[in-house]
Amino acid sequence: MSVRSNRWRPVAVVLGTAVVLAGAGACAKSEETPASSAAGPAPAASQVVQSAAPGAATCTLDQYGGTKIDLKTAKVGFSQSEKEANPFRIAETKSIQDEAAKLGIANLTTANANSQFNKQISDVEQMIDSGVQLLVIAPLNSDGWDSVFAKASAKKVPIITIDRKINATPCKDYLTFIGSDFAEQGKRAADEMAKALGNKGEVAILLGAPGNNVTTLRTSGFKEQIAKVAPDIKVTFEQTGNFSREEGQKVAEQLLQSNPGINGIYGENDEMALGAVTALKGAGKKAGDVKIVSIDGTQGAVEGIVNGWISAVIESNPRFGPLAFDTATKFFAGQPVGQDIIIADRAYDTTNAKTDVGSAY
Amino acid sequence: MTPLALATRPAVRSWLPDYGVYLAIALLILYNVAFTPYFLEWSNLRIQLVQVAPIVIVALGMALVIGTEGIDLSVGSVMALAAALIPLYLGYGVAAAIVVSLLAGVVVGLVNGVLVARVGLQPIVATLAVFVGGRGLAVVISDGQLKEIRNPGLINLGSGDLLGVPVLVWITAVLAGVVAFVLRRTVFGRRLLAVGGNRRATELAGVPVARVLITVYVACAVLASIAGLLSVARIQSSDASAVGLLIELSAITAVVVGGTPLTGGRVRILGTVAGALLMQLVTATMIKHDLGPSTAEMAQAVIILVAVYVARERKTR
Amino acid sequence: MTLLEVAGVSKSFPGVRALDDVSFTLRPGEVHALVGENGAGKSTLIKVLTGVYRPDSGELRYRGEPVSFAAPMDAQRAGISTIYQEVNLVPLMSVAQNLFLGREPRNRLGLVDRGRMEREARDILADYGVTTDVRRRLGALPLGAQQMVALARAVMIDAQVVIMDEPTSSLEPREVQTLFGVIRRLHARGIGIVYVSHRMDELYEICDAVTILRDGRLVHTGELAGLERIELVSMMLGREMSPARRQGFTAFAGDHDADDTAPPILAVTGLTSRNRLHDVSFDVRPGEVVGLGGLLGAGRSETIKAIGGAYPIDGGTIRVDGEDLGRPSTVRAVAAGIAVQPEDRKAEGIVAGLSVRDNIALAVLPRMSRLGIVSEARIDAIVQRYMTRLRIKASSPGQLVGDLSGGNQQKVLLARLLATDPKILLLDEPTRGIDVGAKAEVQSLIDELAGEGLGVVLVSSDAEELVEGADRVVVLRDGAVVGHLTGDRVTTEDLMAGIAAAAAPSEDPA
Repeated sequence: MSVRSNRWRPVAVVLGTAVVLAGAGACAKSEETPASSAAGPAPAASQVVQSAAPGAATCTLDQYGGTKIDLKTAKVGFSQSEKEANPFRIAETKSIQDEAAKLGIANLTTANANSQFNKQISDVEQMIDSGVQLLVIAPLNSDGWDSVFAKASAKKVPIITIDRKINATPCKDYLTFIGSDFAEQGKRAADEMAKALGNKGEVAILLGAPGNNVTTLRTSGFKEQIAKVAPDIKVTFEQTGNFSREEGQKVAEQLLQSNPGINGIYGENDEMALGAVTALKGAGKKAGDVKIVSIDGTQGAVEGIVNGWISAVIESNPRFGPLAFDTATKFFAGQPVGQDIIIADRAYDTTNAKTDVGSAY
Repeated sequence: MTPLALATRPAVRSWLPDYGVYLAIALLILYNVAFTPYFLEWSNLRIQLVQVAPIVIVALGMALVIGTEGIDLSVGSVMALAAALIPLYLGYGVAAAIVVSLLAGVVVGLVNGVLVARVGLQPIVATLAVFVGGRGLAVVISDGQLKEIRNPGLINLGSGDLLGVPVLVWITAVLAGVVAFVLRRTVFGRRLLAVGGNRRATELAGVPVARVLITVYVACAVLASIAGLLSVARIQSSDASAVGLLIELSAITAVVVGGTPLTGGRVRILGTVAGALLMQLVTATMIKHDLGPSTAEMAQAVIILVAVYVARERKTR
Repeated sequence: MTLLEVAGVSKSFPGVRALDDVSFTLRPGEVHALVGENGAGKSTLIKVLTGVYRPDSGELRYRGEPVSFAAPMDAQRAGISTIYQEVNLVPLMSVAQNLFLGREPRNRLGLVDRGRMEREARDILADYGVTTDVRRRLGALPLGAQQMVALARAVMIDAQVVIMDEPTSSLEPREVQTLFGVIRRLHARGIGIVYVSHRMDELYEICDAVTILRDGRLVHTGELAGLERIELVSMMLGREMSPARRQGFTAFAGDHDADDTAPPILAVTGLTSRNRLHDVSFDVRPGEVVGLGGLLGAGRSETIKAIGGAYPIDGGTIRVDGEDLGRPSTVRAVAAGIAVQPEDRKAEGIVAGLSVRDNIALAVLPRMSRLGIVSEARIDAIVQRYMTRLRIKASSPGQLVGDLSGGNQQKVLLARLLATDPKILLLDEPTRGIDVGAKAEVQSLIDELAGEGLGVVLVSSDAEELVEGADRVVVLRDGAVVGHLTGDRVTTEDLMAGIAAAAAPSEDPA
């Protein structure tokens, strides 16, 4: 009697269904993208360094320790922090890869920590062990890098951190930081908001993820500047949308319903601002009824300016590739490089959105 | 103690777990009517119902699973899978995209159900696999990118109206009605409750327990994929890494607050809907009064604790 | 001098008098067997001795002093240890850690001295026939070895009394002999042992004295040597009827006129399940009640469940009306007309959280429905029919079954079985734990159903019920058929003799 003959059948079913799922993309056919947004391969705007203050600290190969190498034949490692689910991260990784290809760096390893800090640390340590000669890191956290620094300095591997800063000593623990000034972005957003509202009105802020220094700086910069340039603008609501489109939409819906007086929304990233646009449409508002200003410079948001829903977008440029490798080249050639390289972010508004939408990411 | 007090106390005790959620909703509405501007407006009701719809739909499925003494952690990942598949197949038309995303639900439900019913894994472990892997797969399918949705048919599902009521709310109401009917009036519903009440006894009664369990997990996953595609339709974009994040917790909360015991054998559909609404109202109240998200979370924690405490009272009755 | 003594102890639970004026004495160095069928009160008595329960009345004396244990820890500290069937240790910790749990040897720094602990553990366990790496996880050891570790631990903590609750039920024969060696050593050291088991051979091999409980009362206590096996069995099973039973007979009417020439409605051949059932075969004809006799653990419940598709088997065939059931499953069994009433009503029978109505209709829902939607009217009809026929007392069909009395719960369960129109009824202790009135009703119902042509298999630990209810009795021991009582030999005496016979090859006279 074959009482137990079927014990493997469930497993087979599970495996079978898993295969079906995995093959799901096989004969996919996506929605056709409307022509308006198919701007074609745009002239990607690379980063520009803000004119550095005279006498700003620099770093040289001698100071840091290490040897001259040719970047082309060097082994380079790039560690990305977050899942590439938002356009910023996609553009950042792509920029590093593209620039490496352009410079003929054949030996680039990239890793993605998927928002797990432990994974990022082990990613980077593995890179050091495998003998990389230059590290470009987009750090997930600002602290907790001591073990990496110890390992890297033993092998004299220079580290360039991009987009977020690490709390440590430049030119010693790491070479340099390249990134935006988030408070400055907030201030510029405030200027744009003041302009859009004519220096008067009620503004709600869609905050980023709580406890994140990007959120903190973009908030404080915005509020300080509003208080300075347009004291008649009141920030009446600050609610988190966690940098997500859905939550931005939900919060905006709630706020707009119970506070018809709100005529400005400051989104600390484009995703939340786009959520707010959907909320406005749902509430029967017309483009321009409520002024929206946001930060990032993604294509969707810049198109929003073209369509009239968004007033201005302050860019946070993710294309670190050229600047990072340029800095590295200079450094390995023995020239001094800045310890804190702040990039100049551009801004999109009604005057340039249409023409520049191609350089959004 | 007076005879009256003696008579009423046990009555309150048995009444509270069943109807406490409605009382809490009533109190919260009264507070908002008094202190929140423009609360008693159709536009407000509309927003709350639309926002809560995906949670209600997921919670309906969760209630069925919990009714069998199980739990399904994979619902959020199923939503993500459905969301990831929609833009891929939208080229064939809305219907095709919907069918494909529902099929993903069926497949995941089969996996969960087979693992629970035939392999004999504990539900929390069985559904953990998809909970972890499903979203990863969804991110891979969608290339990790957020995709804008422009299909008018799908967008109409998310933000259109029918007779002045959002389509989303109609769909949710119909699904709640169907689930309630299935539970009350069908062979499957009766068997489901018996399995949850005493699986061994139900098995000995000749009920095909494995089939019932697999069907329950498939139903739950299909409901989750419906919630996923409706979320996509509503936010007019598909972001596999964000859709349905942490919804399993919201759904379980709605079910528990609604008076369904985690020990199975009993399911309260209307209570589940009310539980989800209560949590939605708490969030809305906090946002409208500009209180921080941590305040909302603490308020929700208190509600859960009260619900669990009240349920405990019933047990010791 | 006595070591441990209870005098006139009673203990009641809602609806049950678990212990009724029971006295029990354990002397130092004595191995004292505590026997009785399910529900006799053994577990309750053990729990009184170990401080889990406090008696309603009566006295507990330890080494001559009256004591009252507030919690099991108190009893343990006083030197009374218990070893349960399931080992009560931490499977994920090492053998040595388990042995010394809570009393680890320390070094000068106050830290656990692992070396010493492991050395001592090795020495101690060697005495118990366990030679294993003491650093292994306890859970990785065979069950017998785990039990030895538990025993070693119990003795180590200066136990004066060791209570063993069916210690051999999961041991291999070789391990049993090791255990007996240890028991003899404890005996020599003056430790008193309470030994609970239903294996006759073991009792006679290792025990000095015996106390027999039945229905919560003390039936007999004294030296084991000189007590015939058959006397022991008859006292356990209640041949000596209690006063209540002496006046009334069971409600069974007598033999049924089953047609001996009719083909069997149920034919079981060679039913085998690892360790539990060995080649069990028997037939049941329409209108016949076949009893399954034997002590606890003889394989009666397993046989019934295996036929019902709820117990895994390795071999054997089950034929209903001549048709092979094939791969057994509960779904197939019910579909073929087999209805099982399991022994444990609460765990496997009723669904306590559902109504009387839903419980009765559970097995027949497809018949009560169209396109998957149930017809309330049809359910009402069938529920009404069986509630009336079985005289189920409930406030309404909507009352939760969990709120009914035991007897009514049992009737609801029987109603569910009957609603499936079964051909064969398998009843496992159908009258256990229900009141006298309900018992009589259930007994006459069994007669009535057999009269209607059903084949019935009856399991009962009540010898009287078994012989009066059954037309034939199949006697089981250790999972095998050891006897077959027919005709005039269906008597309690023959049943006792069949059960008590020393372990020997089948002596089936039939």
